[in-house]
Amino acid sequence: MHTDSRLQRPRMTLTEMPTGAAGRIHALNGAVEVCQRLREMGFCESAVVQKISGQSTLLCQVCGMRVALGEGVAQHITVEVIRGAA
Amino acid sequence: MTPPLPPTKPAPSTRASAPVYGLVGNPNCGKSTLFNALTGLKQKVGNYPGVTVERKIGTAYTQHGQPLTLIDLPGTYSLAARSPDEAVTRDVLLGRRTDTAMPDRIVCVVDATNLERNLYLVHQILDLGRPVILVLNMIDVAEELGMRIDTARLEQLLGIPVIACAASSGRGVIELKLTLSRSDLPLSRHAWGVPAAIAPAVSELQASLQENDGKPPLIARAEALLLLTDRDSVRVAGSTALAPRTQEILSSWEKRWAAAGTDWAAELVNARYDSIGKLTAEVVGQDSATPVGPSVSDRIDAWVTHPVWGWAIFGTIMAAMFLSIFTLAGIPMGWIESLMGALSTWVSGLIPAGDLHDLVIDGAIAGVQGVIIFLPQIIILFFFIGLLESTGYMARAAFIMDRMMSRVGLNGRSFIPLLGSYACAIPGIMATRTIEQPKDRLVTILVAPFMSCSARLPVYLLLIAAMVPTSEVPLGTKVGLMLLMYSLGTFGAFGFAWFFKKTLLRSAPPLMIMELPPYRLPGVRDVAQQMAERAGIFVKRAGTVILGLSIVLWFLATYPKAPEGTPKEQALAHSFAGQAGHALEPVIAPLGFDWRIGIGLINSFAAREVFNSAMSVIFAVETSDDEEADAGHLRDALQAAVRTDGSKLFTPLVCLNLMVFYVFAMQCLSTVAVVKRETNSWRWPLFQLGYMTGFAWGLCLVIYQVGRVLGY
Repeated sequence: MHTDSRLQRPRMTLTEMPTGAAGRIHALNGAVEVCQRLREMGFCESAVVQKISGQSTLLCQVCGMRVALGEGVAQHITVEVIRGAA
Repeated sequence: MTPPLPPTKPAPSTRASAPVYGLVGNPNCGKSTLFNALTGLKQKVGNYPGVTVERKIGTAYTQHGQPLTLIDLPGTYSLAARSPDEAVTRDVLLGRRTDTAMPDRIVCVVDATNLERNLYLVHQILDLGRPVILVLNMIDVAEELGMRIDTARLEQLLGIPVIACAASSGRGVIELKLTLSRSDLPLSRHAWGVPAAIAPAVSELQASLQENDGKPPLIARAEALLLLTDRDSVRVAGSTALAPRTQEILSSWEKRWAAAGTDWAAELVNARYDSIGKLTAEVVGQDSATPVGPSVSDRIDAWVTHPVWGWAIFGTIMAAMFLSIFTLAGIPMGWIESLMGALSTWVSGLIPAGDLHDLVIDGAIAGVQGVIIFLPQIIILFFFIGLLESTGYMARAAFIMDRMMSRVGLNGRSFIPLLGSYACAIPGIMATRTIEQPKDRLVTILVAPFMSCSARLPVYLLLIAAMVPTSEVPLGTKVGLMLLMYSLGTFGAFGFAWFFKKTLLRSAPPLMIMELPPYRLPGVRDVAQQMAERAGIFVKRAGTVILGLSIVLWFLATYPKAPEGTPKEQALAHSFAGQAGHALEPVIAPLGFDWRIGIGLINSFAAREVFNSAMSVIFAVETSDDEEADAGHLRDALQAAVRTDGSKLFTPLVCLNLMVFYVFAMQCLSTVAVVKRETNSWRWPLFQLGYMTGFAWGLCLVIYQVGRVLGY
């Protein structure tokens, strides 16, 4: 894990993160099944995710691929914002 | 901490001559294109018995002309399967399916631009201990992005052949064929560290799976890892339940970990990704010279997934698609008609007039023609669907529709089957197999036939013509009524989906996790091949099921025979079909339909458009070669038709009501059969038949009775 605890970065859910911003995944806390599938698709803790667009259903970029995430999934992903909206 | 791999026999194949290769990969990695490039047209498409997942088996040839069998397995991200098609991939690889040979060797196809994520599945596959060939597909795209992949180093690290390839242009395919032809393929040397907290559980489960479940050693290890990756052991075990002892070991470990706060599944996945991360760090480099900015895909996505423009683009594409289906198809439909006409004239000359003649001409040929005539529309629809899929737009459409679909409790994935159902519910229902949650899949199947399919189109057109007193229907009226029917069906589908999700098939809203592949130029060959395949399946169905049904219906409409010289209409009344129409009359009279319409309704169970031909038989319309004139005659005949009291039968209200009935009623035996096959029971198709037709009846009752009160 590459999380750097010395830097206090703002933590929020992926739903709350502004469009265009990028964050490092801090925790997955939804249903076990969903977390499993997310991890297998590259949404591991410490992966960097960028929010591209979307209001309820989000379009994100993670691990070099583009993924559509429903609101029910995105609200269970906590991220540390590492770069604000461009 | 890796348990040493037990010694393996070179390959578990018994057929020394032709090894069986399984082709696996993530969705969107270009696996199907590669499969097509390797096998050409030597493919057999069928279904895995019990689940309607397509089974594609092809033959490729070695450089020496030896045949090789290739099984194209459904795309998956992981062997921890979620949906029915992913389960097929897992089960075939683990040798659990008695109907499909366990592949001796495995070809793993990965998207070179996204090596890290794609290698996860490869990592799981390597655990199976069978010879693996790794194909880095789309290497051309990776190079354009400035990625440098050291295939030699990767080969060395994994100990298996690694081939860089671009299936779309054919690059690397020869090398792949050469490798496929090799009689000796090395086993992977790659070892990865199962986390220390979990390793003892893996060994213990493996031992128990070998001893109590009778699994071979390597499969037992792979299954042990899967049981620990996916927490649903019943799902992992598939059709054969775990031995009680194995289940016990699993539960005791899970309890121990839960008490210690260890998330074992996450640790396993993370350990795999750690090991993959080390691999990719050594082999993937990025050219700093290549400008890193928004890619073409990014720029297109900015428009296509835009909250406003996205909808406009989506609407335009849908409009173009339906317009082509309804207009372009007219020309080839005319050809089919004249071809079938010529066939029936030719057969007519061969068989002397009599029952056999009528059976062949009016029963078999006319019946098959009624269905095969839709072949052009189906081909055009699949052309569009193939185009949308192969360019990557389909996933965007599902993304755009997700919000709307979530209001009725489904997600964007359900949109694709519903879209397909506008052409025909059968491919639509078959497309539901990518939906992960069984209940959501069932809801989608149950509502899909509400989408107005192409078979309803001729019925709508006839009834609209009969409804309007002038001989030329004003374009506005025609389009308006058409739109009304299509939207009624669409709203019906959404309304019932919402209702079922709230009541009968109550379940949490499905969670949307879907990869959007980068945009690509459409693969002409793939699209053409898919169209040919679908057309083949459709023609085959017309030649079997529909042919049989047409003959049965002809028989019912002909026997028992009325005395010689009876007018056609009365002869029909005398037949079984006529009797059935009369028997049905009390039920449909409150909707404004009489026994003659009843015959049409019964007949059109074979296919909805049969209603039109039934009407021309019943109202004794003289047919000629001039199709347009025929349509005009039929319209005049319908307008002239009267009830026994002398009042007009096809009043505008009755026409409208009949159209509404066709929107909602499940008037299609083929759909019933497909739903039976998809759900593996008679329960759901019968329920569907009952609720759809019941709802149609109730709604038409209200419309007719209210219309009457209002004076129509």
